[in-house]
Amino acid sequence: MRALLDTSPCAVGIVGPGGRVLYTNRRHDELYGVSADQIPKNVRDLYVDPTARDRLLEIFRRDGRLIDAEVHNRRPDGGTFWSLLSWSQAEYDGQPCMISWLYDITPRKQAEAAMEEARRAAERANQTKSEFLANMSHELRTPLNAIIGYSEILVEDAQDRGDEASIGDLKKIQSAGKHLLGLINDILDLSKIEAGRMDVYLEYVFLSRLVDEVKTIVEPMMSKNNNRLIVECPPDIGSLRTDLTKLKQSLINLLGNAAKFTKEGEVKLSLSRSVDEEGVSQIRFAVSDSGIGMTEEQMGRLFQAFTQADSSTTRNFGGTGLGLTITKHFCTMLGGDITVASEPGKGSTFTIRLPDKTVRPEGAGEAEPEERPVAAAARSAHALTVLVVDDDPTVHDVLSATLLREGYNVLHASDGDEAIEIMRKTPPDVVTLDVMMPNVDGWSVLGIMKSDPMLQHIPVIMLTIVDDRNLGFSLGASEFMTKPIDRARLIALIQRFARTHSGAVVLIVDDDEDVRMIVRQAVEGVGMTAAEAFNGEKALEWLKTNPHPALILLDLMMPEVDGFQFLARMHEDASLRDIPVVVLTAKTLEDDERVFLAERTILVLSKSTQPIGSLGHALAAIAARAHGHGSEQAAQG
Amino acid sequence: MPKILLVEDNEMNRDMLSRRLTRNGFDIAIAVDGSQGVEMATTEKPDLILMDMSLPVMNGWEATQKVKADPATSGIPVIALTAHAMNDDRDKAIAAGCDDFDTKPVDLPRLLQKIKALLEAKGAG
Repeated sequence: MRALLDTSPCAVGIVGPGGRVLYTNRRHDELYGVSADQIPKNVRDLYVDPTARDRLLEIFRRDGRLIDAEVHNRRPDGGTFWSLLSWSQAEYDGQPCMISWLYDITPRKQAEAAMEEARRAAERANQTKSEFLANMSHELRTPLNAIIGYSEILVEDAQDRGDEASIGDLKKIQSAGKHLLGLINDILDLSKIEAGRMDVYLEYVFLSRLVDEVKTIVEPMMSKNNNRLIVECPPDIGSLRTDLTKLKQSLINLLGNAAKFTKEGEVKLSLSRSVDEEGVSQIRFAVSDSGIGMTEEQMGRLFQAFTQADSSTTRNFGGTGLGLTITKHFCTMLGGDITVASEPGKGSTFTIRLPDKTVRPEGAGEAEPEERPVAAAARSAHALTVLVVDDDPTVHDVLSATLLREGYNVLHASDGDEAIEIMRKTPPDVVTLDVMMPNVDGWSVLGIMKSDPMLQHIPVIMLTIVDDRNLGFSLGASEFMTKPIDRARLIALIQRFARTHSGAVVLIVDDDEDVRMIVRQAVEGVGMTAAEAFNGEKALEWLKTNPHPALILLDLMMPEVDGFQFLARMHEDASLRDIPVVVLTAKTLEDDERVFLAERTILVLSKSTQPIGSLGHALAAIAARAHGHGSEQAAQG
Repeated sequence: MPKILLVEDNEMNRDMLSRRLTRNGFDIAIAVDGSQGVEMATTEKPDLILMDMSLPVMNGWEATQKVKADPATSGIPVIALTAHAMNDDRDKAIAAGCDDFDTKPVDLPRLLQKIKALLEAKGAG
């Protein structure tokens, strides 16, 4: 048995009770440089980290064995080696003991360490290179700015003097400078990407506007080779949460390339929305040209840095060959991809596909997908998040500019469905809701919100252009106004409808005592007399027993006989039909549920007037209510 | 003539931008660091401030915050000038209270548009 164990490549040691080493085989003696009787009493000293043995023993006691632990061992002479260690239980000479099996893995460990060190060194070198490039690019740009700037000034001077001869030359300096700047920027971008320092900034991008902007930028490139730019962008293409700068740069890149490799032809940019295999909505940006095209082989090299289709390409067409590499990196960072289809002589089509969902982009350290970094930067412990729901991009622009500046975090949704989705994922503190939206309108969103326990507490500010006047008018109302009541407007209305009846009576029909009081003050303030009715029933009774009032101010939601019924009954009675009625309401909804919801609407603002100022006040009020500190926050704005 | 306070430490940039803005009908005041910029926002009462972000003594973000925190100057629109594609600079600028930003090297027609828009908005408000 011992003879057999002495041939084993595995070191074997048998430890008896009290930690006494009873036996070691030949390999064990070789590995430790000592025989069994020379092994120190304290076996913990045989470990580089003595506590490692305690941990291993714990496992051994728990499991009854230990399998393949990687251990850094120490020899009695102080040398070290790595082993793969197993322990098992056995009986030896009639006593229970522990057998330890060690396999020397020092060479493997050394190789691994060398590889790791080499990898770190390579990373350090690459990092140094990238930093060098980034710094260098900055240093290069500074004098370049001067070249471009002063040549522009000289062009302007020459234009003033009518010095046509100089203008041409100066413009060449200027355009060469701009070209060089573009190349430097490309190198900077690529070095940032490689250094992992290129961050993704997700924001709300309105595609039709992006396309317009890109079109303006690339038009001059198109006219250079007499190319025609065709843009196909469906009017309902909508928006995409992505990094605007990177997407724009990618499109300009592709369009610039198309323009460069096409002469007197057509370059087409077409956008479309589709659904991918996993059911995710995606936007495709296809840039196709009728240019020189590429072979399969050329396409294979296309996205590699510093290569172009052919080395002669650089001579004929210029460029660093970095554009497509950068574009490809950008597309990947944005969660999408870029593909190419081409045939020599028939032109090429580059297609960028980006998912329309909030994706966690590659690389660490980016802002949470649901928030703009601006918002993150501005975020304080008390900052409120406002979800802007509107189908009009301008509203998003205006509101986010204002709100971000005032330290609010802003989320965006272009329609009701998106709004609900965002709210469920990231409940905002306040929602501004557009009433008129395609598909799911503002009232429906409000309905969904108020029936969802998770969302019903979120205050909503309705933004509307139409006051649902038509509803009021069709019910026979003379005017329509929304709550809470704008005093000035109310007074103006009263004066308009009741002016001719100075000293006459205005009937206020509302179940809310506070509203009646406010309205009464307004009525009396213009020198008229106010009468009050609690609901439609009471108002009809009042009308029967009193002379006709000059005006009726009517709430729609009242117990028993509500405003609608009241109007209907008034309409049946020819004698009452001519009394002007102004509807005062917070509601524009037909069914009870919606009525209930609309009552909870904090404020209805008219978008046609100034939304920003009034919104600021509304938000300050909400902030003060929602958070103890909110008022300071809002006061800063 | 609308007065613009240009806060820029780089002499060439300052020279170029001030000459071109003067040519376009603006009265130019110049500050060479953030601290001077804040001071001159009060003394010069400019209609608009063009603020470089990487400035000595006090950087542009801090200077903007100071300008926006003082009721006497908070109404003055500030356009941040940041280096190319430095998104974080841009975001920091807006967080600091800048009304708009543009990248350097300056594209003059674009910058003029932004200046015009802010001056009009200020005039209207």
